[in-house]
Amino acid sequence: MNNEVKLSNKGKAFLENLRVYLFSSGRNSDEIEEIVEELEAHLYDAEKNGKPIEKIIGKSPKEYMEMVSNEMAVDYRSWITYVCLIVFGSFSITIFPDLLKGQLSYSVLEIVGHIVICAIFIASVLIGFKYISTSYHSIKKQGLIVIMITILPIALFIGLIFLNEAVVTPAIDFSGTASMIIGIITALVIIGISIWAKTWILIVIIALLTLPEYLLSLTSLTYEIQLILSPWITFAGIAIYLWISYKREKNEAM
Amino acid sequence: MSTTQMLKGILDGCLLAIIKSKEVYGYELAQKLEGYGFHSFSEGTIYPLLMRMQKEELVTSTLKKSTAGPRRKYYSLTSKGETELEKFMRNWNHLQNSVNRVLQHESDIKSIKGDGMVE
Repeated sequence: MNNEVKLSNKGKAFLENLRVYLFSSGRNSDEIEEIVEELEAHLYDAEKNGKPIEKIIGKSPKEYMEMVSNEMAVDYRSWITYVCLIVFGSFSITIFPDLLKGQLSYSVLEIVGHIVICAIFIASVLIGFKYISTSYHSIKKQGLIVIMITILPIALFIGLIFLNEAVVTPAIDFSGTASMIIGIITALVIIGISIWAKTWILIVIIALLTLPEYLLSLTSLTYEIQLILSPWITFAGIAIYLWISYKREKNEAM
Repeated sequence: MSTTQMLKGILDGCLLAIIKSKEVYGYELAQKLEGYGFHSFSEGTIYPLLMRMQKEELVTSTLKKSTAGPRRKYYSLTSKGETELEKFMRNWNHLQNSVNRVLQHESDIKSIKGDGMVE
């Protein structure tokens, strides 16, 4: 929003919730901004004249959000992009380190499990965010839901690793050329996603997960020291990156 | 039937009529409706209606800066919207006349019967 509009906290919260609700209902983001801006202008005028928000949206914010949502078309194109982003993005985190170790080889369980976990993650985000946005919840409850949504895929991925060791499914081995082609395609997709989303975060995280281990293996350090150093470089690198982007964002906002 | 349910289709026609006489923004529209006596509706209900009318190309909109506060979206009627408004006016007149005739006639019968009882 380019100009700061003075609205009551209740009004601001409603607009924010409406944005989240429409987004998790798969509505087009340009159209979402349009209706949010229009309602912001309305609330601004209404509050100036001392009208309560209930006079604008009725007694149930959820019903009102549904009414608005029903008039908007689902934006499948963006959603396919988001799904590709999540699936490829999470695959790439395993693909690149594996490539540096040699040829790619995944079990059927790993590949299917990965896609299923992505699907569960997307569904939990949509359901969770819709739930948060449609009624008034305390900050604590909202935080708890967001934490649960974040932890769920991590827990499932760890579960998948153990399951993959316990259950033997046919493995798909890729030849050297096939591995290279998969690597190149993934790299192109990641670069494409980064340009589209205008963020370096995916590239930085993949580089930090992949490169320290690889570069350390080229040094004369002992294997134990390499093993200790590598995760530290990764976490420190991610922390530094997040700190720099936070600083930059803060400066831009000022 | 609640007034909100009855309102739905009627509100569409009223919005078209107000937009026809002057280019207006959302808050202004809600104010005018209230001024005409529509008190019970939630002001925000006009936006989903406006969204649909815009998709059906009955109205167009332009964003304009306002002196204070955020930008406003002004609506104006298209030629398709004018035809729709004329259709609404015809339908409404017809409906109004029929309802009036029913109510008038039925209450006449009642009062005649009522008179008979007294005698």
